[in-house]
Parts: sequence; structure tokens; C-alpha cells
Amino acid sequence: VSQRSTPPSLARRLLEHALPGDIRESIAGDLHEVFQRDFQTDGLSVARRRYWLKTASFAVHFAVERWRDKRPGEPINVGLTWLDFKLGFRLLRKYPMLTVVGGLAMAVAITVGAATFEVINRVIDPALPLPDGDRIVGLNYWDRAGAGQRLPAPNDFLRWREGLRTIEHVGAFRSVQRNLIVGGEAGEPVEAAEISAAAFRVAHIPPQLGRTLVEADEDLRAPAVVVLGHRLWQTRFGGDPAVLGRVVRLGGTQATVVGVMPKGFAFPVHHNMWIPLRAGELSRDAGGRVTLRTFGRLAPGVTLTEAQAELTTLAAHAAAEFPALYANLQPQVMPYAQSFIPIRSDFLFRAGIHSINGFAVLFLVVVCGNVALLMFARAATREREILVRRALGALRSRIVMQLFVEALVLGGIAALLGLTVAHFGLKWGLEALNTESNEWPFWFQGGLSPTTVSYAALLAALAAAVAGVVPALKVTKTGLEHGLRAASAGAGGLRMSGVWTFVMIAQITATVLFTALAYVVQQQAAGIASRKAAFPTEQFLAVRLEMDGGVPTETNAGRTDEVPQRYDAVVRELERRVVEDSRVVAVTLATRLPFMPQDGGMIEIDGLGVDDSSRREGFVTATAVDVDYFEAFQAPILSGRGFAPHDAGSSANTVVVNRLFVDRILAGRNAVGRRIRYKAEGAQSASSASPWFEIVGVVGNLVLESDAPLSGDNPANPLVYHTLGSHSVESYPLYLAANVRGDARVLVPTLRRHAADISPTLRLSDVKRLDEASSSDVSAWTAFARAILLVSAIVLLLSLAAIYSVTSFAVSRRTREIAVRLALGAPAVRIVANVFLRPVSHVAAGVATGCLMIGALVAISLSDSAPSSGTLMRHATVLVAYGTAMMGVCAIACIGPVLRLFRVAPIDVLREEA
Amino acid sequence: VRPNVTPDQLDTHDASTFETNNAYELSELFILITLYVILSSMSREALGEFEQMILLAILHLGEGVYGVPIVDEIQRRTGRSVAPAAVYVTLRRLEQKGLLTTWMGESTPERGGKPRRCVKVTRSGLASLRDSRKVLDSMWKGLDPKLRGAQ
Repeated sequence: VSQRSTPPSLARRLLEHALPGDIRESIAGDLHEVFQRDFQTDGLSVARRRYWLKTASFAVHFAVERWRDKRPGEPINVGLTWLDFKLGFRLLRKYPMLTVVGGLAMAVAITVGAATFEVINRVIDPALPLPDGDRIVGLNYWDRAGAGQRLPAPNDFLRWREGLRTIEHVGAFRSVQRNLIVGGEAGEPVEAAEISAAAFRVAHIPPQLGRTLVEADEDLRAPAVVVLGHRLWQTRFGGDPAVLGRVVRLGGTQATVVGVMPKGFAFPVHHNMWIPLRAGELSRDAGGRVTLRTFGRLAPGVTLTEAQAELTTLAAHAAAEFPALYANLQPQVMPYAQSFIPIRSDFLFRAGIHSINGFAVLFLVVVCGNVALLMFARAATREREILVRRALGALRSRIVMQLFVEALVLGGIAALLGLTVAHFGLKWGLEALNTESNEWPFWFQGGLSPTTVSYAALLAALAAAVAGVVPALKVTKTGLEHGLRAASAGAGGLRMSGVWTFVMIAQITATVLFTALAYVVQQQAAGIASRKAAFPTEQFLAVRLEMDGGVPTETNAGRTDEVPQRYDAVVRELERRVVEDSRVVAVTLATRLPFMPQDGGMIEIDGLGVDDSSRREGFVTATAVDVDYFEAFQAPILSGRGFAPHDAGSSANTVVVNRLFVDRILAGRNAVGRRIRYKAEGAQSASSASPWFEIVGVVGNLVLESDAPLSGDNPANPLVYHTLGSHSVESYPLYLAANVRGDARVLVPTLRRHAADISPTLRLSDVKRLDEASSSDVSAWTAFARAILLVSAIVLLLSLAAIYSVTSFAVSRRTREIAVRLALGAPAVRIVANVFLRPVSHVAAGVATGCLMIGALVAISLSDSAPSSGTLMRHATVLVAYGTAMMGVCAIACIGPVLRLFRVAPIDVLREEA
Repeated sequence: VRPNVTPDQLDTHDASTFETNNAYELSELFILITLYVILSSMSREALGEFEQMILLAILHLGEGVYGVPIVDEIQRRTGRSVAPAAVYVTLRRLEQKGLLTTWMGESTPERGGKPRRCVKVTRSGLASLRDSRKVLDSMWKGLDPKLRGAQ
């Protein structure tokens, strides 16, 4: 018995709309029949997908057919004329306040929408800026057990390179850090791509000078060569055209420069130096710890599916050979840039990420709802004109279209502004966020794509629809007769309905919230910027110490056993040499220095009473330091003792905590003698937790508590210090801190020279004074604060404009009534109260709602720390004061209309009406 | 050519007069039809390749065929993938040109209860096909040796 199913109902409905009435039924029947056939042979999902495709195809074909059926030269009448656009531009000039406020608001919303769309597209569907970039693919595994991406081992790469026919130029790379030493200079670390020569054929970009890497360079006996990136060539070689043939030192090896790549070339990710990946050096053991990122180019005419099929077959041989290793690994061929996303990129995931655009669109709708309020007020002032036009026979649709075009002109200008800001903002923002250690992939750089520009045009149309059509529908809703009667009686027929009341209250609520948010973010930025230390930060030089073969990265998991010992010896030697410098007061080592971002974890504290159950756990950051760390930073021991030589070693179980630990975690109680241990994530049993550590001392805070209201990026944290070598904290890489007399930067050349003397493989990176250590956090927070400030300023401006429009509208609508009441002797103050009661009550409702929401947020944030009644009272007072201040600010917008009301001269008004 | 008959003479017409009148009208109709056929054949638009393919597929399948088998037949014979929407649009255009005639057929549960629209090539359609073939044949004529040379 054959099964039956039904085509997607939405597609069916769309199809019915798309087809001409005379053939609708028969075509729908034919497609139904084909759907049943597809369902029987290929399954439901394929049948549904085909049905959708056919629906789209039919809609397009018959739309084109309808277009053809039109008489040649006949215009498409959608009610648009150039005159509407001309009028739209004229109105922009006539109402400058609305133009500026509404335009700015729309521009911000379109900027947010376009930037969100662009960023999402770059993450989900990035386009490689290389010739035929869409044919470049990445090859890796999906680990079904760990539900994550797994990079192939060298063995897989070699097998794929030899076996794959559907993918050409299969190559691989891994990122390595090397000290680049040019001539007699001290070395500086550079991130190089150790890469197959095939990469340059995949990328299809010729070198600017010399040659690229070739297969012969991959031979173990071939001389070491290096290809330079344009930036590196400019900065380290001064753009010397005779650079080819020069011998440079890369860590422990000498290499000859054989080529320079053109500007902007950064394949495979963000690389600026390329050295050959020597397959002979790689272990062919299956399941080795070394992994490689593998790539290739689809052979001509081959689809991704065909390449996937071949790779799956090839991987099946490996799985048969090593079933334990490959049981859960599923090979996958993906577009190159997408292969870097460590999450399975299925339909749901993509849809989920794309749905973020929905929030940006919602933001645009909300903002344009507010602009619509202003447009409504403007349309109300033209009510008489609109009524006369309707009386003369203008269709409602014609008037709605005209108001839409007026909004479209404003939206178009806003879109231009928004796109410009988004384009340059994105470009500069990405460049500014590029750091030495964390650079964006090359396909992520640059401004907006043409797709985003088209999307922004759609956003502008949507903005115009919300800001123009909604008020137009409201304005033209009034019955013509009633409207004319009301207008001739001196009062407009328009009323501010419930929708506008809601928009107004929501807008003021948003203003109150945004202003508060802007204040908090500003405080946070200022708090982090003004962070203070208990030691002279400008005298401390910080430097990260790394060594070739010692970087545990995704492509180089783990180190060999002899490397740690060699690393320790080299680092100690450097420390010894630096301390001998007469300018240096003290030198110490640690995994993290003050002001640097630190890893944290939950701890459990032993020795607290039952009644202290709420204090048994706490979040702390942990650092491993040398035994002389506290002396070097002149940190006072407040109780107990500091570290002694016998505390060092892998079996060490003593820790020192800082004052903030005592204050925040122990609420000021004695810490010395208590025991702590780290809680493993998700651990249920005690056996899976770390060993216990005894607190032997409390030291003063090196970073003083700042005024930053949020904990994010706040460098003042409860700290637990371990000794170097303790197994609880990873001791690689180490930071060296040198206390120097005067400006610490003077030590940099000496430090580099010592490092080069000790070992060319020792790399010094992140060299900066400690007062510059969190400068990136400060600049990020400052930029964020500025952005929020800009948004809140626009929201405030929009609110003030809306309040002004509403009150102004109320005055103009009731001018005749006011004149009559004044003529009858009513006091002006009473009339003011009467006219403004409604708008002011809306403002009060908005401010109260905003303050209540802030109060709720504050209460939630304070709920963990059980605040005293004094604290609560203080917060409540601040909130009331803030609400009152916001009411005062909103009242400013009413000044103009109030003054206009006071200027109403009853005799003039009544004479005019007569 | 019409006999000179006045309204007051109409009642006095005998049978022979009626016969003469009918003969005149028939000959007039014949002339008009002939003129129509000549004129319509003169103004007959040349068929496009896709239109020809659809008409030929219908002829292959026989009378009473509908959209789904036509699409299948074209794909089967040409070995090319065809957008069904393009076929339906062309069918409608051919019907508007009078080259096809359609009527509603039966509805079945497999079709969601919707009827089939059956099609048949009209005489005019057949004539258009013949014309198209003639034009193509004359264009092809004498080219065989050259084509063989190219091979």
C-alpha cells in the first residue's frame, strides 16, 4: 500500500496566489501528483524541497509572463510620481527638526541592521577574496562522540593528498611562532605558516617578488627557505627589492628569503610569513598528537557532495585499519572559511544564527515606530490639505503612497548615512581589534559587501513603511465628512490613539533605561581606566616568554618532555642576567601579572561552620608565581607568611590569598590555616575535585579596588597564588616582570639582546609596561561606552522630539478651545494643566516604568550579596532622584508648546476663525 | 453579388429565390473562410524551439495528455532538465495562439482532488509545426557535405 503525504501548506497557498485563476487548479493538481511521486521515490524532505523550488519557479515564471502580457510601453501604475519625491525633499527642508532627529534615528537603526547582517554573513557564509574562492575547501573530522571538530593528523593528510581525485592541490598547514632575526638585530617573534607548497596553487595568487614555495622545498634535504608577506617585508626589511637571497634566522634555523607575496595576501588565515611544511618530519603514526589544518581546491566540474563522497570512502579505509581511533570520526569537506567554525554548521544552526538579524530588524521597527509618531504629528498639521485632496477625489491609496514616499526619501538618506557609518565603522573597528596575538582571518577584513548594501535598501524600505504608511493610514482613516466638519470647526479630527500612547510610553521607558545603561558603561570604562595599583606600574616591564616547540596550540598539542626543562633553564638564565643590570631593582616570574586577564574557577572552602553554607564557595582567579613575587611587587604580608623556597615544586599544597579574597569570600574572617580546593566543572563527587591547598598567608591587594560597577574586565579580583610548578596552574608561558628605576621601557633593548644571546628560540612577546597591560580593555570599554552614549543620546533626542510633537499637537488642535476659555476668563495656568495633563501623564508613566525596570535589575544583581537596608535605601533614593531628573529633562520639550499656549491671543484666534 | 431585394418583396420570395440566396451566402462564407485561412497562414508566427518541442511531445503522447507527462516526455527525449513552470507558461501561450485546445479532465486522490487540464494540438498547431519544419528543412538543405567536412 503506497503511502501519501501532502505538500507544504504554505507553499501551496503561495502557489495559488502566484498562478492565474484559469489554470490554478490544474497546475496545483499536477504539482500535487509530482509531489506524491517524489515522496514515494525520494522521501518526504526531498519531495518538500522540490515542491518549494517548483513553487518559487512558477511564481517567477508567471510574474514574468504577466509582465510580458502588458501592452508595450504601458507604465506600471503603483501610484508613484517624481512629484512625490520632489515633495518629500521639500518637506525635509521644511521640517528640519524631524529630518535631523528622524533621519539620525533611522540611520542608527539601519547601521545596526546592516552591520549585524554583514558580521553574521562573514561568520556563516564568508566569501574568500581569492580567485574562485568558493572552490577552496577545508577537510577535517566531525567527532560524533565529543560532538566537536577534530583536525586531521599528518597521517590523514598524507593519505588524503595521495588518494583524493575530486580535490586538487591538497595541502596542510600549522601556525608556528618563530623569532625572526634579521642581520645583527635582536629577534622579534613572528607567526609563520608552516605550509605545503600546494597552498600557493590553491590561492592562485602570484608572488610580488621571487617565487612562492615549491614542492622541492618540502624535501628534508632541501635548504630552508622563507616567503615573506608584504607587511613584514615593509616593516622588517624596509621594502628592500634586493631582499631575495638574503639569509635570515628563524629561531634556531637559517633560511633564505625566496619570495615576497603581494599586499593583502594572508592565506591560510592571517599569516605574513610562510615556511615549507616538511611531510618527512611529520609522524605517520595514526592517532599522533600533532594535527594539521588541511585544505584543497575542488577539481573542475566536481561538486562538494562528490568530494564528500570520495573523502568518506577514503576515510572508511582508515577506519577499517584503526577502528578504535576512527570509530566516531566522520570526515567532512566544507567551504574553506566555514571549516574554521568549530560547530556543526547544519540548517538549524545557520537559521539560529541568521535569526539574530531578526533582533536588529525589531530594533529598526521600534525606532521607526517612534519616527512614525513624529511623522503622524507632522501629518496632523497637514490634515486640512489631506482632507481637501480627498474631497477632490484623491484615493486613500494615493495619499498613503505619497506619505510613504516622503518617509522613503528620509529613509534613503538615512540608509546612505547608515551604510557609510557601517562600512567605515566595520573596517576601522576590525582593524582596531586586530592585535598582535589575535588577528582576524583575511576573509573577515574589509567593509560592506554588495549583498549587505541591497539588504540595507530593504531595511530603508521597511523603515519607510513603518514610519510613513502607519501614520498615513491613521491620518486617512477619519471619515471625510466628519474630518471636514471638525477641521472647519477649528479643531482637527485627529486624535492620539492608544497605539501612539503606547509608543510614547515605550519610548520614554527606553530612554530612561538607555540613559542609565550609558551611565553604568561610562562608569565602568572610567573605573577600568582609572584603576590603581599598590606599586608604581610605569616602573614594571612585563614580557611573555615563549619557546619554539613550546606552544600548546590546536595544531601542536602538548610539548615533548625535554622542552619544559630547557624552557625553565633558559628562563632562569634570562632572569639571572636581567637582575644583574644596575637599572633593575627586582625581577620575578609568574603565569599572569597584575592587570592581565586571569583564569578563574570555583573553589570550595574547608573549615567553615554549618551556618556559613552560603560562604562555602566562591569564584576566584588563580595565578602561579615565583617565590620572590611579593617582594618584587612590594606587596605587604598582612597575615601569616609569603612563599618560601620549600613551597615550590609540583607537590606544593600551600597557597597565599589576597586581601580581596578575605573581604569578599571570607567576609573578613581569618584566612590563614583554612583549606581550599577547586571544584571541577560539573563534578558531583569529591573524588573528581582537586586536592586541598592550605592558605599560609594573606598579602595586600596589588590592584586596588576600582569604582567600576561591573565585574567584567575588572582587574581587582579575589586571588589565589600558587607557586610555579604547582600542578594546579599551567606554568607555560611565563611572564617576566622587571622593576626598573624610572621608565621601564629603557630595559627593552637589553632584554632582547640577552634573549638572543641565550637562545634564538626564546621569543619575547607582549612587551609592555604594566600600566599599559589592560589598555585594550580600557579602549574596548571606552568605545562601547561611546557607542551606548550615542545611541542613548539619539533615543533621548527622539523622545524629546516626540514629547514636543505631542504637546505641540495638543496645543494646535485645541487652539480655538483655549482661546474661548481664555476669553471667558479661565486662568492660563489651569488651561496649561488641562492641555498638558495627558502628555505629561504619559511621560510620567514611561519614566516610572523605566525606573521600576532599573530597580528590578538592581535588586536582581544585589540578591547574591544580601545588601543591608542602608544600601537598599541609598539605591532607592538614587533611583527616585534619577526619575525626577528624567521628568525634568522631558519637561524641557514642553517649554515651546507651553509658551505658544501663553501667547494665544483670544481675539486674534476668534477673528481668524470667524 | 446580393440580389436586389427590397423589404416589401421579401414576403413574395418563392423557394427558388431562397435557394439562390442560400447558395450566395454559402459561397460568401466559403470565400471568407478561404480569405481567413490565407491571411492567418500568412500572419502565422514562426514557432520557437521550445514551443515546437512541446507540440511534438503532445503529438507523441497522443490526445488527452496533460502537463506532467509532457514535462517527462521532453526530458526523456531531449535528455535535458526542463523547468516545469516554463512548460506550463508555454502551454498557456500556445493555447492563447490557438495552436492548442484544452479541456478539464478527471480528478484523482493522487492529485489532491484537482482536475487535469488535457491538451490537444489544433489544426492550426499542426500547420505551424509543418511550416516550422519546412523552414528548417530549407535551411538545412545542402549542408550535409559541409557538416560531414567539419567532422
